[in-house]
Amino acid sequence: MRHVSRSARHFARCFIACLLVCSVATAALAVSASAQPDELLIGIEPEHNIFDQMERYRTLADYLSEQLGVKVKLTIMSRYGEVIKRFRTLRLDGAFLTSYTATMGIKELHLEPIASPVNLYGASTSQGYIFVRKDSGIRSMIDMKGGSIVFVDPATMEGYLFPLVFLAQHGVKNINEFFHDYYFSGSHASAIFTVLDGRADIGAAKSTVFDQLVKSDPSIGQELDIIAQSPKAPEVTLCIKSEISQNLRERLTRVLLHMDKTVAGKNVLQQFKAQGFVKSNTEDFAIIEKMAQESLGSLTVHGK
Amino acid sequence: MTGDIPYYRAIHEAFVAEINSRFAGSEKIEIILQRPFPNPISWSNAARKLIAFDVDLIVTYGLPAAEAVIHEKSRIPLVYAGLFEPENAAIKAKNATGCGFKVPLSSILRYFKRLKTVNTLGILFCSLEEDSVRQFETMQDLAAQQNIKTEKIDIRSRADLDKLKAMESDVVFISGSSLVHLFLDDIIKLLEQQRIPVATIFPDDTEAGVLVTLSQPPISQGHLAAEMAWQILLGTKPADINAYTFRDTELVFNKVEARRLEIDFPIQLLIEATRVIE
Repeated sequence: MRHVSRSARHFARCFIACLLVCSVATAALAVSASAQPDELLIGIEPEHNIFDQMERYRTLADYLSEQLGVKVKLTIMSRYGEVIKRFRTLRLDGAFLTSYTATMGIKELHLEPIASPVNLYGASTSQGYIFVRKDSGIRSMIDMKGGSIVFVDPATMEGYLFPLVFLAQHGVKNINEFFHDYYFSGSHASAIFTVLDGRADIGAAKSTVFDQLVKSDPSIGQELDIIAQSPKAPEVTLCIKSEISQNLRERLTRVLLHMDKTVAGKNVLQQFKAQGFVKSNTEDFAIIEKMAQESLGSLTVHGK
Repeated sequence: MTGDIPYYRAIHEAFVAEINSRFAGSEKIEIILQRPFPNPISWSNAARKLIAFDVDLIVTYGLPAAEAVIHEKSRIPLVYAGLFEPENAAIKAKNATGCGFKVPLSSILRYFKRLKTVNTLGILFCSLEEDSVRQFETMQDLAAQQNIKTEKIDIRSRADLDKLKAMESDVVFISGSSLVHLFLDDIIKLLEQQRIPVATIFPDDTEAGVLVTLSQPPISQGHLAAEMAWQILLGTKPADINAYTFRDTELVFNKVEARRLEIDFPIQLLIEATRVIE
Protein backbone atom coordinates (compact mmCIF):
# COMPACT_ATOMS: atom_id res chain seq x y z
CA MET A 1 0.00 0.00 0.00
CA ARG A 2 1.25 3.45 -0.78
CA HIS A 3 -0.22 6.65 0.55
CA VAL A 4 -0.14 9.63 -1.79
CA SER A 5 0.42 12.88 0.08
CA ARG A 6 -1.13 16.23 -0.79
CA SER A 7 2.23 17.56 -1.96
CA ALA A 8 2.73 14.55 -4.21
CA ARG A 9 -0.68 15.11 -5.75
CA HIS A 10 0.11 18.77 -6.22
CA PHE A 11 3.34 17.76 -7.94
CA ALA A 12 1.40 15.36 -10.18
CA ARG A 13 -0.97 18.15 -11.18
CA CYS A 14 1.93 20.49 -11.96
CA PHE A 15 3.61 17.71 -13.95
CA ILE A 16 0.52 17.20 -16.10
CA ALA A 17 0.30 20.94 -16.65
CA CYS A 18 3.95 20.96 -17.74
CA LEU A 19 3.31 18.12 -20.18
CA LEU A 20 0.50 20.13 -21.71
CA VAL A 21 2.79 23.11 -21.96
CA CYS A 22 5.28 20.98 -23.88
CA SER A 23 2.65 19.61 -26.22
CA VAL A 24 1.00 22.92 -26.97
CA ALA A 25 3.81 25.42 -27.05
CA THR A 26 7.34 24.33 -27.70
CA ALA A 27 8.94 27.73 -27.94
CA ALA A 28 8.12 31.33 -27.31
CA LEU A 29 9.18 34.01 -29.69
CA ALA A 30 10.24 37.42 -28.59
CA VAL A 31 8.04 40.19 -29.89
CA SER A 32 9.28 43.64 -30.59
CA ALA A 33 7.16 46.70 -29.98
CA SER A 34 6.90 47.71 -33.58
CA ALA A 35 7.04 44.52 -35.63
CA GLN A 36 4.11 42.21 -36.27
CA PRO A 37 5.03 39.03 -34.35
CA ASP A 38 4.83 35.63 -36.00
CA GLU A 39 2.98 34.26 -33.05
CA LEU A 40 1.45 35.17 -29.73
CA LEU A 41 2.03 32.94 -26.72
CA ILE A 42 -0.89 33.19 -24.32
CA GLY A 43 -0.91 31.67 -20.85
CA ILE A 44 -3.88 30.09 -19.10
CA GLU A 45 -4.37 29.57 -15.39
CA PRO A 46 -5.25 25.95 -14.57
CA GLU A 47 -8.85 25.07 -13.71
CA HIS A 48 -10.26 21.93 -12.08
CA ASN A 49 -10.14 19.93 -15.32
CA ILE A 50 -7.21 21.18 -17.38
CA PHE A 51 -7.91 18.73 -20.22
CA ASP A 52 -11.38 20.20 -20.84
CA GLN A 53 -9.94 23.65 -20.34
CA MET A 54 -7.24 23.19 -22.99
CA GLU A 55 -9.82 21.91 -25.44
CA ARG A 56 -11.99 25.00 -24.92
CA TYR A 57 -9.13 27.44 -25.24
CA ARG A 58 -7.57 25.66 -28.21
CA THR A 59 -10.73 26.36 -30.25
CA LEU A 60 -10.53 30.02 -29.31
CA ALA A 61 -6.81 30.18 -30.13
CA ASP A 62 -7.42 28.68 -33.59
CA TYR A 63 -10.12 31.27 -34.27
CA LEU A 64 -7.92 34.15 -33.13
CA SER A 65 -5.02 32.86 -35.26
CA GLU A 66 -7.23 32.86 -38.32
CA GLN A 67 -8.71 36.30 -37.67
CA LEU A 68 -5.44 38.01 -36.75
CA GLY A 69 -3.10 36.31 -39.20
CA VAL A 70 -0.83 35.62 -36.24
CA LYS A 71 -0.41 32.14 -34.79
CA VAL A 72 -1.86 32.12 -31.26
CA LYS A 73 -0.33 29.44 -29.05
CA LEU A 74 -1.39 28.43 -25.58
CA THR A 75 0.40 27.32 -22.48
CA ILE A 76 -1.04 26.37 -19.11
CA MET A 77 0.73 28.00 -16.21
CA SER A 78 1.42 25.43 -13.55
CA ARG A 79 -0.50 27.17 -10.79
CA TYR A 80 -2.49 30.30 -10.03
CA GLY A 81 0.25 32.39 -8.50
CA GLU A 82 2.98 31.94 -11.05
CA VAL A 83 1.86 34.65 -13.42
CA ILE A 84 4.77 36.99 -12.83
CA LYS A 85 7.38 34.23 -12.95
CA ARG A 86 5.82 32.55 -15.97
CA PHE A 87 5.45 35.75 -17.92
CA ARG A 88 9.18 36.21 -17.63
CA THR A 89 10.44 32.65 -18.00
CA LEU A 90 8.03 31.59 -20.74
CA ARG A 91 8.17 35.02 -22.40
CA LEU A 92 4.41 35.16 -22.59
CA ASP A 93 2.73 37.82 -24.67
CA GLY A 94 -0.45 37.67 -22.68
CA ALA A 95 -2.59 35.48 -20.47
CA PHE A 96 -6.16 34.76 -19.48
CA LEU A 97 -5.95 35.68 -15.83
CA THR A 98 -8.27 35.51 -12.87
CA SER A 99 -8.86 38.75 -10.98
CA TYR A 100 -6.06 38.42 -8.41
CA THR A 101 -3.32 37.47 -10.84
CA ALA A 102 -4.58 39.99 -13.41
CA THR A 103 -4.21 42.71 -10.79
CA MET A 104 -0.68 41.52 -10.05
CA GLY A 105 0.13 41.45 -13.75
CA ILE A 106 -1.25 44.93 -14.32
CA LYS A 107 0.72 46.29 -11.39
CA GLU A 108 4.03 44.50 -11.82
CA LEU A 109 4.23 43.80 -15.55
CA HIS A 110 2.10 46.71 -16.77
CA LEU A 111 -0.18 44.32 -18.62
CA GLU A 112 -3.20 45.77 -20.38
CA PRO A 113 -6.56 44.14 -19.63
CA ILE A 114 -8.22 43.62 -23.02
CA ALA A 115 -11.46 41.68 -22.65
CA SER A 116 -13.31 39.31 -20.35
CA PRO A 117 -15.50 36.40 -21.46
CA VAL A 118 -19.20 36.47 -20.60
CA ASN A 119 -20.22 33.04 -19.37
CA LEU A 120 -23.30 31.12 -20.50
CA TYR A 121 -25.34 32.67 -17.67
CA GLY A 122 -24.55 36.19 -18.89
CA ALA A 123 -21.91 37.11 -16.31
CA SER A 124 -18.35 38.29 -16.87
CA THR A 125 -17.70 38.65 -13.17
CA SER A 126 -17.52 36.33 -10.21
CA GLN A 127 -17.69 36.72 -6.44
CA GLY A 128 -16.08 34.93 -3.58
CA TYR A 129 -18.37 32.77 -1.45
CA ILE A 130 -17.65 31.58 2.07
CA PHE A 131 -19.76 28.54 2.79
CA VAL A 132 -20.42 25.82 5.36
CA ARG A 133 -22.53 22.70 5.54
CA LYS A 134 -26.08 23.59 6.62
CA ASP A 135 -25.92 20.96 9.35
CA SER A 136 -22.54 22.18 10.63
CA GLY A 137 -24.06 24.43 13.27
CA ILE A 138 -21.84 27.29 12.05
CA ARG A 139 -23.87 30.48 11.86
CA SER A 140 -21.39 33.17 12.86
CA MET A 141 -17.71 33.89 13.36
CA ILE A 142 -17.70 32.56 16.91
CA ASP A 143 -18.87 29.16 15.62
CA MET A 144 -15.91 29.08 13.21
CA LYS A 145 -13.30 29.33 15.94
CA GLY A 146 -11.28 26.14 16.27
CA GLY A 147 -12.66 24.68 13.05
CA SER A 148 -10.93 23.93 9.78
CA ILE A 149 -11.07 26.05 6.64
CA VAL A 150 -10.18 25.21 3.06
CA PHE A 151 -8.94 27.93 0.71
CA VAL A 152 -8.27 27.54 -3.01
CA ASP A 153 -4.87 29.11 -3.64
CA PRO A 154 -3.04 32.09 -2.13
CA ALA A 155 -3.26 33.86 -5.50
CA THR A 156 -7.05 33.88 -5.80
CA MET A 157 -9.39 36.67 -4.81
CA GLU A 158 -12.41 34.42 -4.25
CA GLY A 159 -10.52 31.53 -2.68
CA TYR A 160 -8.13 33.35 -0.33
CA LEU A 161 -8.00 37.14 -0.44
CA PHE A 162 -11.72 37.62 0.17
CA PRO A 163 -11.95 35.19 3.11
CA LEU A 164 -8.90 36.85 4.66
CA VAL A 165 -10.55 40.27 4.30
CA PHE A 166 -13.81 38.92 5.72
CA LEU A 167 -12.04 37.33 8.67
CA ALA A 168 -9.99 40.48 9.34
CA GLN A 169 -13.16 42.60 9.26
CA HIS A 170 -14.54 40.31 11.95
CA GLY A 171 -11.49 40.63 14.15
CA VAL A 172 -9.48 37.60 13.05
CA LYS A 173 -5.93 38.75 12.49
CA ASN A 174 -4.16 35.40 12.68
CA ILE A 175 -5.75 32.41 10.97
CA ASN A 176 -3.15 30.09 12.52
CA GLU A 177 -4.50 30.89 15.94
CA PHE A 178 -8.17 31.16 15.03
CA PHE A 179 -8.53 27.91 13.09
CA HIS A 180 -7.51 24.44 14.17
CA ASP A 181 -6.40 23.74 10.61
CA TYR A 182 -6.34 25.39 7.19
CA TYR A 183 -5.12 24.32 3.80
CA PHE A 184 -5.34 24.96 0.06
CA SER A 185 -7.34 22.66 -2.20
CA GLY A 186 -5.83 23.88 -5.49
CA SER A 187 -9.17 24.31 -7.24
CA HIS A 188 -12.52 25.94 -6.51
CA ALA A 189 -14.45 22.71 -7.12
CA SER A 190 -12.17 20.81 -4.75
CA ALA A 191 -12.81 23.35 -2.01
CA ILE A 192 -16.56 22.83 -2.44
CA PHE A 193 -16.33 19.02 -2.36
CA THR A 194 -14.06 19.22 0.68
CA VAL A 195 -16.74 21.04 2.70
CA LEU A 196 -19.53 18.83 1.34
CA ASP A 197 -17.67 15.74 2.60
CA GLY A 198 -16.90 17.22 6.00
CA ARG A 199 -13.17 17.25 5.29
CA ALA A 200 -13.23 20.94 6.24
CA ASP A 201 -15.80 22.93 8.19
CA ILE A 202 -15.61 26.14 6.17
CA GLY A 203 -14.71 26.77 2.55
CA ALA A 204 -14.10 29.60 0.13
CA ALA A 205 -14.53 29.42 -3.63
CA LYS A 206 -15.80 31.45 -6.53
CA SER A 207 -19.46 31.89 -7.24
CA THR A 208 -19.38 30.77 -10.86
CA VAL A 209 -17.97 27.33 -10.02
CA PHE A 210 -20.26 27.03 -6.99
CA ASP A 211 -23.37 27.95 -9.01
CA GLN A 212 -22.40 25.64 -11.85
CA LEU A 213 -21.97 22.69 -9.48
CA VAL A 214 -25.32 23.44 -7.86
CA LYS A 215 -26.95 23.57 -11.28
CA SER A 216 -25.54 20.18 -12.24
CA ASP A 217 -26.33 18.67 -8.82
CA PRO A 218 -29.04 20.55 -6.86
CA SER A 219 -28.32 18.49 -3.73
CA ILE A 220 -25.14 20.55 -3.32
CA GLY A 221 -27.21 23.72 -2.92
CA GLN A 222 -29.44 21.97 -0.41
CA GLU A 223 -26.46 21.00 1.74
CA LEU A 224 -24.41 24.19 1.76
CA ASP A 225 -25.07 27.63 3.22
CA ILE A 226 -23.34 30.70 1.81
CA ILE A 227 -22.49 32.89 4.78
CA ALA A 228 -20.59 35.70 3.03
CA GLN A 229 -20.16 37.08 -0.48
CA SER A 230 -17.42 39.31 -1.84
CA PRO A 231 -17.85 42.23 -4.25
CA LYS A 232 -17.90 41.23 -7.91
CA ALA A 233 -14.69 41.27 -9.95
CA PRO A 234 -13.87 40.15 -13.50
CA GLU A 235 -13.71 36.37 -13.47
CA VAL A 236 -11.18 35.91 -16.27
CA THR A 237 -9.52 38.63 -18.32
CA LEU A 238 -7.22 38.48 -21.29
CA CYS A 239 -4.27 40.68 -20.38
CA ILE A 240 -1.62 41.57 -22.98
CA LYS A 241 1.81 42.96 -22.36
CA SER A 242 2.38 46.54 -23.43
CA GLU A 243 5.30 45.61 -25.73
CA ILE A 244 2.81 44.12 -28.17
CA SER A 245 2.03 46.71 -30.83
CA GLN A 246 -0.99 48.87 -30.19
CA ASN A 247 -2.33 47.89 -33.60
CA LEU A 248 -2.30 44.19 -32.74
CA ARG A 249 -3.79 44.79 -29.29
CA GLU A 250 -6.62 46.80 -30.84
CA ARG A 251 -7.27 44.16 -33.50
CA LEU A 252 -7.27 41.45 -30.87
CA THR A 253 -9.76 43.40 -28.78
CA ARG A 254 -11.98 44.04 -31.79
CA VAL A 255 -12.03 40.36 -32.80
CA LEU A 256 -12.99 39.27 -29.30
CA LEU A 257 -15.69 41.92 -28.84
CA HIS A 258 -17.29 41.10 -32.20
CA MET A 259 -17.15 37.33 -31.98
CA ASP A 260 -20.81 37.06 -31.03
CA LYS A 261 -21.81 38.88 -34.22
CA THR A 262 -20.48 36.36 -36.72
CA VAL A 263 -21.55 32.77 -37.37
CA ALA A 264 -17.97 31.46 -37.11
CA GLY A 265 -17.43 33.46 -33.92
CA LYS A 266 -20.66 32.16 -32.41
CA ASN A 267 -19.64 28.56 -33.12
CA VAL A 268 -16.33 29.11 -31.36
CA LEU A 269 -18.05 30.81 -28.43
CA GLN A 270 -20.37 27.84 -28.09
CA GLN A 271 -17.40 25.50 -27.77
CA PHE A 272 -15.63 27.98 -25.51
CA LYS A 273 -18.79 28.01 -23.34
CA ALA A 274 -19.26 31.78 -23.45
CA GLN A 275 -21.84 34.21 -24.80
CA GLY A 276 -19.21 36.70 -25.91
CA PHE A 277 -16.54 39.06 -24.59
CA VAL A 278 -16.79 42.48 -22.93
CA LYS A 279 -14.17 45.23 -22.79
CA SER A 280 -11.97 45.33 -19.71
CA ASN A 281 -10.33 48.27 -17.97
CA THR A 282 -7.64 48.65 -15.36
CA GLU A 283 -10.20 50.25 -13.03
CA ASP A 284 -12.11 46.95 -12.88
CA PHE A 285 -9.30 45.63 -10.68
CA ALA A 286 -9.07 48.48 -8.18
CA ILE A 287 -11.24 46.53 -5.73
CA ILE A 288 -8.72 43.67 -5.63
CA GLU A 289 -5.82 45.97 -4.81
CA LYS A 290 -7.87 47.65 -2.10
CA MET A 291 -8.76 44.28 -0.56
CA ALA A 292 -5.14 43.12 -0.69
CA GLN A 293 -3.90 46.26 0.98
CA GLU A 294 -6.51 45.91 3.72
CA SER A 295 -5.77 42.30 4.56
CA LEU A 296 -2.25 41.54 3.37
CA GLY A 297 -0.70 44.99 3.36
CA SER A 298 0.40 44.47 -0.22
CA LEU A 299 -0.91 42.75 -3.32
CA THR A 300 2.23 40.83 -4.13
CA VAL A 301 2.93 39.23 -0.78
CA HIS A 302 1.32 35.98 -1.93
CA GLY A 303 1.38 34.05 -5.12
CA LYS A 304 4.20 35.80 -6.87
CA MET B 1 -18.36 -3.44 21.55
CA THR B 2 -21.38 -3.83 19.30
CA GLY B 3 -19.28 -6.27 17.26
CA ASP B 4 -15.61 -7.14 17.02
CA ILE B 5 -14.84 -5.10 13.92
CA PRO B 6 -11.72 -3.01 13.10
CA TYR B 7 -13.55 0.32 13.49
CA TYR B 8 -14.61 -0.29 17.08
CA ARG B 9 -11.26 -1.89 17.88
CA ALA B 10 -9.50 1.29 16.68
CA ILE B 11 -11.72 3.45 18.91
CA HIS B 12 -11.07 1.11 21.84
CA GLU B 13 -7.28 1.14 21.35
CA ALA B 14 -7.27 4.94 21.29
CA PHE B 15 -9.50 4.95 24.39
CA VAL B 16 -7.19 2.62 26.32
CA ALA B 17 -4.05 4.54 25.39
CA GLU B 18 -5.61 7.85 26.43
CA ILE B 19 -7.21 6.67 29.68
CA ASN B 20 -3.96 4.96 30.74
CA SER B 21 -1.98 8.10 30.06
CA ARG B 22 -4.43 10.14 32.14
CA PHE B 23 -4.16 7.78 35.08
CA ALA B 24 -0.41 7.18 34.70
CA GLY B 25 1.32 7.10 38.09
CA SER B 26 -1.96 6.85 40.01
CA GLU B 27 -4.46 4.04 40.48
CA LYS B 28 -4.34 1.39 37.75
CA ILE B 29 -7.46 1.12 35.62
CA GLU B 30 -8.73 -2.40 35.05
CA ILE B 31 -10.56 -2.82 31.77
CA ILE B 32 -12.91 -5.74 31.09
CA LEU B 33 -13.57 -6.02 27.35
CA GLN B 34 -16.69 -7.72 26.00
CA ARG B 35 -16.89 -8.49 22.27
CA PRO B 36 -20.41 -9.87 21.77
CA PHE B 37 -21.47 -11.22 18.39
CA PRO B 38 -23.79 -8.61 16.84
CA ASN B 39 -27.24 -9.79 17.89
CA PRO B 40 -29.66 -8.58 20.58
CA ILE B 41 -29.17 -11.53 22.94
CA SER B 42 -25.38 -11.22 22.91
CA TRP B 43 -25.51 -7.45 23.41
CA SER B 44 -27.88 -7.89 26.33
CA ASN B 45 -25.76 -10.66 27.91
CA ALA B 46 -22.60 -8.57 27.62
CA ALA B 47 -24.31 -5.58 29.25
CA ARG B 48 -25.66 -7.75 32.11
CA LYS B 49 -22.23 -9.28 32.70
CA LEU B 50 -20.60 -5.88 33.13
CA ILE B 51 -23.39 -4.72 35.43
CA ALA B 52 -22.97 -7.91 37.47
CA PHE B 53 -19.25 -7.15 37.82
CA ASP B 54 -20.38 -3.86 39.40
CA VAL B 55 -17.90 -1.87 37.34
CA ASP B 56 -17.40 1.87 37.94
CA LEU B 57 -18.12 2.83 34.36
CA ILE B 58 -19.30 1.16 31.15
CA VAL B 59 -17.96 2.26 27.78
CA THR B 60 -19.76 1.12 24.62
CA TYR B 61 -18.83 1.27 20.95
CA GLY B 62 -21.73 1.38 18.51
CA LEU B 63 -25.40 2.13 19.11
CA PRO B 64 -26.80 -1.37 19.83
CA ALA B 65 -24.34 -1.95 22.71
CA ALA B 66 -25.20 1.46 24.18
CA GLU B 67 -28.92 0.70 23.87
CA ALA B 68 -28.43 -2.69 25.54
CA VAL B 69 -26.76 -1.06 28.56
CA ILE B 70 -29.43 1.65 28.84
CA HIS B 71 -32.16 -1.00 28.55
CA GLU B 72 -30.84 -2.65 31.76
CA LYS B 73 -31.57 0.59 33.70
CA SER B 74 -28.38 0.29 35.72
CA ARG B 75 -27.03 3.21 37.78
CA ILE B 76 -23.53 2.64 36.36
CA PRO B 77 -22.45 5.64 34.28
CA LEU B 78 -22.17 5.05 30.53
CA VAL B 79 -19.84 6.61 27.97
CA TYR B 80 -20.67 5.71 24.39
CA ALA B 81 -18.61 6.17 21.21
CA GLY B 82 -18.86 5.20 17.56
CA LEU B 83 -22.51 6.25 17.19
CA PHE B 84 -23.75 7.49 13.83
CA GLU B 85 -25.43 10.90 14.32
CA PRO B 86 -25.93 10.43 18.09
CA GLU B 87 -28.33 13.40 18.18
CA ASN B 88 -30.75 11.28 16.12
CA ALA B 89 -30.23 8.10 18.14
CA ALA B 90 -32.62 7.13 20.91
CA ILE B 91 -30.01 7.60 23.65
CA LYS B 92 -31.89 9.22 26.49
CA ALA B 93 -30.44 8.43 29.90
CA LYS B 94 -29.32 10.71 32.72
CA ASN B 95 -26.22 8.65 33.41
CA ALA B 96 -25.04 8.51 29.80
CA THR B 97 -22.91 10.75 27.64
CA GLY B 98 -20.52 10.17 24.79
CA CYS B 99 -19.57 10.92 21.25
CA GLY B 100 -20.33 9.86 17.73
CA PHE B 101 -19.83 10.94 14.17
CA LYS B 102 -21.59 12.27 11.15
CA VAL B 103 -20.65 11.43 7.57
CA PRO B 104 -22.62 13.05 4.72
CA LEU B 105 -24.06 10.07 2.87
CA SER B 106 -24.86 12.32 -0.08
CA SER B 107 -21.12 12.56 -0.76
CA ILE B 108 -20.91 8.79 -1.19
CA LEU B 109 -23.62 8.95 -3.84
CA ARG B 110 -21.84 11.89 -5.48
CA TYR B 111 -18.56 9.99 -5.74
CA PHE B 112 -20.31 6.93 -7.14
CA LYS B 113 -21.88 9.12 -9.84
CA ARG B 114 -18.52 10.61 -10.72
CA LEU B 115 -17.15 7.10 -11.26
CA LYS B 116 -19.93 5.44 -13.22
CA THR B 117 -23.55 5.70 -14.29
CA VAL B 118 -25.78 4.82 -11.36
CA ASN B 119 -29.28 3.63 -12.19
CA THR B 120 -29.67 1.31 -9.21
CA LEU B 121 -28.02 1.70 -5.83
CA GLY B 122 -27.73 -1.37 -3.60
CA ILE B 123 -27.86 -0.70 0.15
CA LEU B 124 -26.61 -3.28 2.62
CA PHE B 125 -27.86 -2.75 6.15
CA CYS B 126 -28.90 -4.68 9.23
CA SER B 127 -32.43 -4.19 10.53
CA LEU B 128 -31.22 -5.22 14.02
CA GLU B 129 -29.12 -2.04 14.24
CA GLU B 130 -31.14 1.18 14.43
CA ASP B 131 -28.39 3.46 13.10
CA SER B 132 -27.86 1.16 10.14
CA VAL B 133 -31.58 1.41 9.39
CA ARG B 134 -31.39 5.21 9.58
CA GLN B 135 -28.52 5.18 7.10
CA PHE B 136 -30.51 2.95 4.78
CA GLU B 137 -33.49 5.33 4.94
CA THR B 138 -31.34 8.42 4.38
CA MET B 139 -29.59 6.85 1.41
CA GLN B 140 -32.89 5.67 -0.03
CA ASP B 141 -34.28 9.24 0.17
CA LEU B 142 -31.17 10.70 -1.45
CA ALA B 143 -31.35 8.18 -4.27
CA ALA B 144 -35.06 8.86 -4.82
CA GLN B 145 -34.37 12.60 -5.13
CA GLN B 146 -32.02 11.80 -7.99
CA ASN B 147 -34.31 9.24 -9.65
CA ILE B 148 -32.00 6.38 -8.70
CA LYS B 149 -33.64 3.07 -7.87
CA THR B 150 -32.56 1.26 -4.71
CA GLU B 151 -32.06 -2.41 -3.97
CA LYS B 152 -32.47 -3.15 -0.26
CA ILE B 153 -30.46 -6.02 1.25
CA ASP B 154 -31.07 -6.72 4.95
CA ILE B 155 -28.22 -8.76 6.42
CA ARG B 156 -29.27 -10.38 9.71
CA SER B 157 -27.11 -13.49 9.47
CA ARG B 158 -24.42 -15.05 7.29
CA ALA B 159 -27.12 -16.88 5.34
CA ASP B 160 -28.35 -13.53 4.04
CA LEU B 161 -25.13 -13.13 2.05
CA ASP B 162 -26.68 -15.42 -0.57
CA LYS B 163 -28.93 -12.50 -1.51
CA LEU B 164 -25.86 -10.76 -2.92
CA LYS B 165 -25.46 -13.32 -5.67
CA ALA B 166 -28.56 -12.03 -7.40
CA MET B 167 -27.90 -8.31 -6.99
CA GLU B 168 -28.63 -6.09 -9.96
CA SER B 169 -27.24 -2.83 -8.60
CA ASP B 170 -24.63 -0.70 -10.35
CA VAL B 171 -23.00 0.21 -7.04
CA VAL B 172 -23.43 -0.82 -3.40
CA PHE B 173 -23.38 1.26 -0.23
CA ILE B 174 -22.54 -0.68 2.92
CA SER B 175 -24.05 1.01 5.96
CA GLY B 176 -22.20 1.33 9.27
CA SER B 177 -23.52 -1.96 10.63
CA SER B 178 -21.27 -4.11 12.78
CA LEU B 179 -22.85 -7.33 11.53
CA VAL B 180 -22.44 -6.36 7.88
CA HIS B 181 -18.85 -5.28 8.50
CA LEU B 182 -18.13 -8.56 10.23
CA PHE B 183 -18.76 -10.23 6.86
CA LEU B 184 -17.00 -7.52 4.83
CA ASP B 185 -14.39 -9.78 3.21
CA ASP B 186 -17.04 -12.21 2.00
CA ILE B 187 -19.31 -9.42 0.80
CA ILE B 188 -16.52 -7.82 -1.21
CA LYS B 189 -15.61 -11.16 -2.81
CA LEU B 190 -19.21 -11.79 -3.85
CA LEU B 191 -19.69 -8.30 -5.26
CA GLU B 192 -16.32 -8.33 -7.02
CA GLN B 193 -17.46 -11.36 -9.00
CA GLN B 194 -20.27 -9.19 -10.36
CA ARG B 195 -17.94 -6.17 -10.75
CA ILE B 196 -20.03 -4.07 -8.37
CA PRO B 197 -18.08 -1.30 -6.61
CA VAL B 198 -18.61 -0.71 -2.90
CA ALA B 199 -18.48 2.36 -0.66
CA THR B 200 -18.83 2.59 3.09
CA ILE B 201 -18.50 4.91 6.08
CA PHE B 202 -16.26 2.75 8.26
CA PRO B 203 -12.52 2.80 7.45
CA ASP B 204 -11.41 -0.20 5.43
CA ASP B 205 -8.24 -0.65 7.47
CA THR B 206 -7.75 -4.23 6.34
CA GLU B 207 -8.06 -3.08 2.72
CA ALA B 208 -10.71 -5.69 2.04
CA GLY B 209 -11.53 -3.96 -1.24
CA VAL B 210 -13.88 -1.05 -0.56
CA LEU B 211 -13.55 1.32 -3.53
CA VAL B 212 -14.58 4.53 -1.75
CA THR B 213 -14.45 5.14 1.99
CA LEU B 214 -15.66 8.35 3.58
CA SER B 215 -15.21 7.98 7.31
CA GLN B 216 -14.55 9.80 10.53
CA PRO B 217 -11.14 8.94 12.03
CA PRO B 218 -11.85 6.66 15.04
CA ILE B 219 -8.89 7.82 17.14
CA SER B 220 -10.48 11.17 18.01
CA GLN B 221 -13.59 9.39 19.30
CA GLY B 222 -11.47 7.06 21.45
CA HIS B 223 -9.60 10.02 22.92
CA LEU B 224 -12.74 12.00 23.67
CA ALA B 225 -14.46 8.97 25.21
CA ALA B 226 -11.41 8.57 27.47
CA GLU B 227 -11.57 12.26 28.44
CA MET B 228 -15.26 11.83 29.34
CA ALA B 229 -14.57 8.59 31.24
CA TRP B 230 -11.74 10.27 33.16
CA GLN B 231 -14.00 13.15 34.20
CA ILE B 232 -16.75 10.77 35.32
CA LEU B 233 -14.32 8.62 37.32
CA LEU B 234 -13.12 11.79 39.03
CA GLY B 235 -16.68 12.62 40.07
CA THR B 236 -18.33 14.60 37.27
CA LYS B 237 -21.90 13.53 36.49
CA PRO B 238 -22.46 12.25 32.91
CA ALA B 239 -25.38 14.70 32.58
CA ASP B 240 -22.90 17.56 33.07
CA ILE B 241 -20.77 16.44 30.12
CA ASN B 242 -22.09 17.42 26.72
CA ALA B 243 -22.31 14.74 24.06
CA TYR B 244 -20.28 15.48 20.97
CA THR B 245 -20.57 14.71 17.25
CA PHE B 246 -17.39 14.60 15.17
CA ARG B 247 -17.86 15.87 11.64
CA ASP B 248 -14.36 15.68 10.21
CA THR B 249 -13.93 13.00 7.58
CA GLU B 250 -11.28 11.28 5.52
CA LEU B 251 -11.80 10.21 1.94
CA VAL B 252 -9.97 7.11 0.75
CA PHE B 253 -9.92 5.72 -2.78
CA ASN B 254 -8.72 2.19 -3.47
CA LYS B 255 -7.01 2.11 -6.86
CA VAL B 256 -6.14 -1.58 -6.48
CA GLU B 257 -9.83 -2.39 -6.28
CA ALA B 258 -10.58 0.04 -9.12
CA ARG B 259 -8.21 -1.90 -11.38
CA ARG B 260 -9.96 -5.16 -10.44
CA LEU B 261 -13.30 -3.62 -11.29
CA GLU B 262 -11.91 -1.92 -14.44
CA ILE B 263 -12.90 1.51 -13.17
CA ASP B 264 -10.76 4.57 -13.91
CA PHE B 265 -10.42 7.23 -11.26
CA PRO B 266 -10.31 10.61 -13.07
CA ILE B 267 -7.37 12.72 -11.94
CA GLN B 268 -9.77 15.46 -10.72
CA LEU B 269 -11.32 12.88 -8.41
CA LEU B 270 -8.06 11.40 -7.15
CA ILE B 271 -6.80 14.78 -6.00
CA GLU B 272 -9.79 15.00 -3.64
CA ALA B 273 -8.67 11.99 -1.63
CA THR B 274 -7.11 12.17 1.79
CA ARG B 275 -5.41 8.88 0.94
CA VAL B 276 -5.12 6.70 -2.13
CA ILE B 277 -4.45 2.97 -1.82
CA GLU B 278 -2.20 1.92 -4.72
